[in-house]
Amino acid sequence: MSDLKLRVKEMIIERLKLEGMTPDQIEDGAPLFGDGLGLDSIDALELVLGIEQVFGVKIEDEAAGLKAFKSVQSLTDFIAEHAKA
Amino acid sequence: MTDIQAHLPHRYPFLLVDRVLEREPGVRVVAEKLVTYGEPYFQGHFEGRPLVPGVLLLEMLAQAGGFLETDSLHGAAIFLAAVQDARFKAPALPGDRLRLEVAAAGAFAGLMKLMGTVSCEDRELCTATLLVKRL
Repeated sequence: MSDLKLRVKEMIIERLKLEGMTPDQIEDGAPLFGDGLGLDSIDALELVLGIEQVFGVKIEDEAAGLKAFKSVQSLTDFIAEHAKA
Repeated sequence: MTDIQAHLPHRYPFLLVDRVLEREPGVRVVAEKLVTYGEPYFQGHFEGRPLVPGVLLLEMLAQAGGFLETDSLHGAAIFLAAVQDARFKAPALPGDRLRLEVAAAGAFAGLMKLMGTVSCEDRELCTATLLVKRL
C-alpha cells in the first residue's frame, strides 16, 4: 500500500470514528458511499474538512466531491494531483 | 440591532433567541437568550425545580446559528441534520442571561458545520457541534 493511500485510510478511520477498523480492511476500489463503506452526506462533510486539514487539499464543490469520493483509490489520486509539495 | 422575528420564522413558544450581539454572516454569531420563570416548559421541567431542558440549549444554538445566514430564514428550508459531541456541564436556570456563541466550521454540498457554546457569566453550560442542511 502506498504511503499516501495508507494516510488517506487512516484519516478516514479517524475522522469518521470507524472504531475497530484497520486500513487494510478498507478496499482500495470499494465505493465510499452507498454499498461500500456506506458513508452518508454528513460523513462527506467530515471528509472534506479532514482532507483540507490533513492534506491541505480543498474539495470545492459537489462535482469535485463526486469525482474524489468514488473510492479510496480515486481519493488518493485526487489528493496526489492537487497537493502542493 | 437585528430584527429577530424578521430573520427567524420561529414563534412563541419556540423562539429562543432574544437578542443578537455580534454577527458576521458565514463566520460567527453571538446572541442572547434571557431565561425567566415564565418559560412554558418550566411548568413540567420540573415542578418546583425549574431547569432548561438540554435539548432546548441545542435548539438555542441552532437558532442563533440561523443568523450566520445573510438572508432571512422565512421560507428557507434549513434543518438540523446532526448533533455531535454535546456536553451539558451545568444547568440553565430562571434568571440566567445565556450567551449563545456559534462559529461556522466548514460547509459542503448544502451541509454546514457549526461549533456552539452556551455560557452564563463566563461559565460554560453546554458545548456542541451542530450540522445543518439546506435543502
